Amino acid sequence: MLEVRAIDAAYGDVQVLSGLSLQVQEKEIVTLLGSNGAGKTTTLRCITGLLAPRKGEVTFKNQPLSKVAASERAGLGIALVPEGRELWPQLTVRENLELGAYDKRSRARAAQNLDRVHAMFPRLLERRSQVAGSLSGGEQQMCAIGRALMSEPSLLLLDEPSLGLAPIVVEQVFEVIRSLHASGMTILLVEQNLAAALEIATRGYVIETGQVKLSGSASELKADPKIRAAYLGL
Amino acid sequence: MRHFKRVVGLKLSRIVELIINSVLLAGLYATMAYGLGLIYGVLRIVNLAHGGVIMAGAYAGWYLHELGVDPYLSLVPVGVASFFLGVVMYRGLVYRLPRGAAGGVQSLLLLFGLWLILRNIAYLLFTGNDQTLRTGYSTKAVTLAGELVSVNRMAVFAVAILILIILHILLTQTYVGKAIRAVAQNPDSCTLVGIRVERIYSLTFGLGTALAAIAGLLGATLFPFNPGFGSSELLKSFVVVVLGGLGSVAGTAIAALILAVAEVFPTAIPGFPTYLTAAVGFVLLVLVLVLRPGGLFGQRVLG
Ligand SMILES: Nc1ncnc2c1ncn2[C@@H]1O[C@H](COP(=O)(O)OP(=O)(O)OP(=O)(O)O)[C@@H](O)[C@H]1O
Ligand SMILES: [Mg+2]
Repeated sequence: MLEVRAIDAAYGDVQVLSGLSLQVQEKEIVTLLGSNGAGKTTTLRCITGLLAPRKGEVTFKNQPLSKVAASERAGLGIALVPEGRELWPQLTVRENLELGAYDKRSRARAAQNLDRVHAMFPRLLERRSQVAGSLSGGEQQMCAIGRALMSEPSLLLLDEPSLGLAPIVVEQVFEVIRSLHASGMTILLVEQNLAAALEIATRGYVIETGQVKLSGSASELKADPKIRAAYLGL
Repeated sequence: MRHFKRVVGLKLSRIVELIINSVLLAGLYATMAYGLGLIYGVLRIVNLAHGGVIMAGAYAGWYLHELGVDPYLSLVPVGVASFFLGVVMYRGLVYRLPRGAAGGVQSLLLLFGLWLILRNIAYLLFTGNDQTLRTGYSTKAVTLAGELVSVNRMAVFAVAILILIILHILLTQTYVGKAIRAVAQNPDSCTLVGIRVERIYSLTFGLGTALAAIAGLLGATLFPFNPGFGSSELLKSFVVVVLGGLGSVAGTAIAALILAVAEVFPTAIPGFPTYLTAAVGFVLLVLVLVLRPGGLFGQRVLG
């Protein structure tokens, strides 16, 4: 479904990704792991089009994305839950969700999808008139996930959704991701919480300084001695 | 005792008159400032051409009136034309400049240059003489709360309020209005949900420009003007934006009222020199920047 083929990416003169490749098949849940500054967020920015790769190609459902503007990718079925939520803090929860369905194709089904999101996160219904900036961290993460779901994506990208949340809330977030996957959504999950990510993912990639260092099934990665030493502290 | 009553009575009616004058003036100020605040709030660009567009709006209304069109009928064509002028200014010029902190100076200079060009075109076309836009109802007045109030000034106020209400509805009730507010707060998140951010920028620049031209046209029915018209209006717009915050309709209205009261009430002081009225805005601006740099209502952006 998603194929990232040997992309290079840079911010100004600073090269961040070099020849990075990865694939996500339909209905898979794949995790992208790596330490701070490895280039995980940058990879997602290349997939969503917020950053244009210098080399290589990203294809989605066999369509090359290099000529597809970032603002059109939501319409193709790609949605991102960004690192740090990136909500519109002074818009209400309701408005944040509504704008998630801004794309023409999603707009027609905005009402149903809003109900779906409220059913999934009743808290967002309670807080609908509150500005998003006044929500707790966990509620903001739910709002960010809800916003992404408003466009009925076929590929959901999540960038460190557990970042800065209390353990019990992290638990809830992972539960939500699991149930989205169970309902047939394809997911690419960026995480630093390796143990939890490898628990729900089928496959994973480990990247270091902008390159894939390791990849394999979740159980292979969990058993890998380097990973156990470097990331899991075992 | 009788004497005392007469004095108080006089004062009361004077106060009512001053309040009416302030409120009517505030409507114009709010419209004038809203365009500047909207563009800054969304694009982070100080539109120094704002004053030039206000002046252009005044001349457009005056010229159409010379051709026999009532200024209130010209509001629509002038509004639409200046909207497109704004879109062209954005796409043709502002869009091409670097953005963000480093780009601030370039767009400031460019838009200032544009103002000078607009002003000089007006000198060429209309000379530097003062013009006035006089209609059949310019001198008509009705009695309101015991005061004679100019019909035209009430009409200016009504139009200004109507525009603010429409803007408020646009920004809070429509998809595109919500997108404008969202772009002001986080453009990347907007791109991710399918909002074409550049189109929102064009639209916002067009809207802000249309508001400036409409304010200029309304102003032309009240005051004499020449190609230099718009500079003190730009200053007043700054004061209102700084006082009222960016793009909040209510904040802008309250700030406009504060400025109008501060300008109008001193005129009741016997012997208050009228040229000092122009300084009131400066004083307010300095006071706010020193005491509440975030504006009276905090740092809200199009909230
Ligand atoms: N806007 C930017 N401008 C310049 N350099 C950047 C920018 N964003 C990221 N970088 C650099 O690119 C590298 C990769 O950043 P990236 O955000 O992709 O890492 P990450 O794997 O997501 O890390 P984290 O786990 O901390 O989120 C880092 O060295 C970072 O300093
Ligand atoms: Mg990151």
